[in-house]
Amino acid sequence: MSFLEKHQRNVDLTAFDGKIPVHYRYTLGLAGDKFFTAIKKDGKFVGTHCEECDVIYSPPSVYCERCFASLEDSWVELPSTGTVVAFTVVTEDDQGKELDCPQVIAAIQLDGADNTFVHRICDCCIEDLAIGAHVQAVFKPKKERKGTLDDIEYFEIAAE
Amino acid sequence: MNRKVGIVSMGYHGFSPVTPDLSFRELVYAAASKAYAKAGIGPGDVDMFICAAEDFCEGYSISDEYCNDQLGAVLKPVHTVSGEYLQAIANAAMIIQSGLGKIVVVESHSKASNIKNMEAIHSFGLDPVFNRSLRVTPHFAAGLEMSRYMTESKATEEHCARIVVKNRTNALSNPNAGHGAIISVADVLASDPVAWPVSRLSIAPRSDGCIVTVLAEESVARSLASEPVWILGTGWATESSTLENRAWGEPVSVDIAAQMAYKEAGITVPSQQIDLFEVDDTYSFKELQALEGLHVVGRGQAAHALDEGRLGPDGDLPTNVSGGSLGVGHLLEATGGQKLLELFLQLTYQAGERQIPDVQVGLAQAWRGVPTTTSAVIIVGNE
Repeated sequence: MSFLEKHQRNVDLTAFDGKIPVHYRYTLGLAGDKFFTAIKKDGKFVGTHCEECDVIYSPPSVYCERCFASLEDSWVELPSTGTVVAFTVVTEDDQGKELDCPQVIAAIQLDGADNTFVHRICDCCIEDLAIGAHVQAVFKPKKERKGTLDDIEYFEIAAE
Repeated sequence: MNRKVGIVSMGYHGFSPVTPDLSFRELVYAAASKAYAKAGIGPGDVDMFICAAEDFCEGYSISDEYCNDQLGAVLKPVHTVSGEYLQAIANAAMIIQSGLGKIVVVESHSKASNIKNMEAIHSFGLDPVFNRSLRVTPHFAAGLEMSRYMTESKATEEHCARIVVKNRTNALSNPNAGHGAIISVADVLASDPVAWPVSRLSIAPRSDGCIVTVLAEESVARSLASEPVWILGTGWATESSTLENRAWGEPVSVDIAAQMAYKEAGITVPSQQIDLFEVDDTYSFKELQALEGLHVVGRGQAAHALDEGRLGPDGDLPTNVSGGSLGVGHLLEATGGQKLLELFLQLTYQAGERQIPDVQVGLAQAWRGVPTTTSAVIIVGNE
């Protein structure tokens, strides 16, 4: 044993409560700025294309993570529709508190893109939702868009 | 250059859901004292110390600056691996193989019971712009992975629930395990749907604890221990850190880490050359997915191996005999240390009632948890 004497009564145990107050500003960067500006101004998705790897990133990156090429000048437009690659139904918020109602989160491969975009799916679609479902983005009215992820209300089953 | 590296001793304290009597530093001191006593050394004999730690888990930053006192490492070379315990073991092996040190100590611990809202720490690990702003439980990433994995494999929610039942039952034979229990598949499936298909009981509960490993170069290891356990291979890899760019259903980083370790250890048919497996089960499906990434079974076939009883303590692929993280409790960055500890106990025939007979080679694999894609693999043997 490394300690000869130990606490033997619960009432002797003491502790100190604390918290870490930190505030941040997150820079969107070249890629994030173009992505969210296109959503805010035009209600459109944009991505970057690596010709060498023949890969389209949306959400975009200004470099290719596969071949390290610069993709600064290879912007492409994408439709606001895509395919559900994976989905989950969450019941808690980011602090572990129960949500008022369950929320569907999905990894969506936008048509033409090779990566996925993670966002909400409308509650009204849950009955028809399956991996492989075709969905479309529902943007907030232009006046309410702020250049954030919340500019997209959610995705819903696409009208074919 | 290719010096043999042996594990001389492992000291540990835990693993229980709470440790209200000790501070995290005292927890480390308790484990380190045992590791040094078993090796017959003092901290003064150690050339270098490595800690695996993550800022914020202790409630402050620069955790690397707070790890030396309780290890006896003041005024000694110390560095922190901001990663998994098994990555720190790989670092220790490299230090010894390069000749830089003859005795190296690796430490990591969990005082998770002091963290009031773990979800906030996990959420803090998410991309703030694209992922954290969804404002939902960070378990969502595991929910997405599990749903995709089930689509690409033969595993069902019931298979995954049976992993929970198996591991928590295994933990009943492990006196160090904090979460052994007799539960049913129905209990797991009926537990809170935190991030369907991930339910509350399919997530490893947390434990407190500390694991300290003393490693040494071959001749020193033989002089300090009658039965050193040898490091045969190490591997680690990280898939894209961008959530959006990862393969949701495939254990890519496990595969790459395993190939790296297999190459070093000369393993070509893991299911025949390795006697037991302690793999990641932070979420129940991860155990099945890991066995496929490790090529112990074919892609999509782990559920079938479970059906055939191959993953149980009496099967030909005993997996998480210790109880895994589901049964022992998840130990933050020390999780891989518990997996290595089980191999050490098994390979030195100190595993008590859960001892697997005739064991020579074991494999430990760990994952850093949501939202990471980092896996590490260590292969050890007793000959």
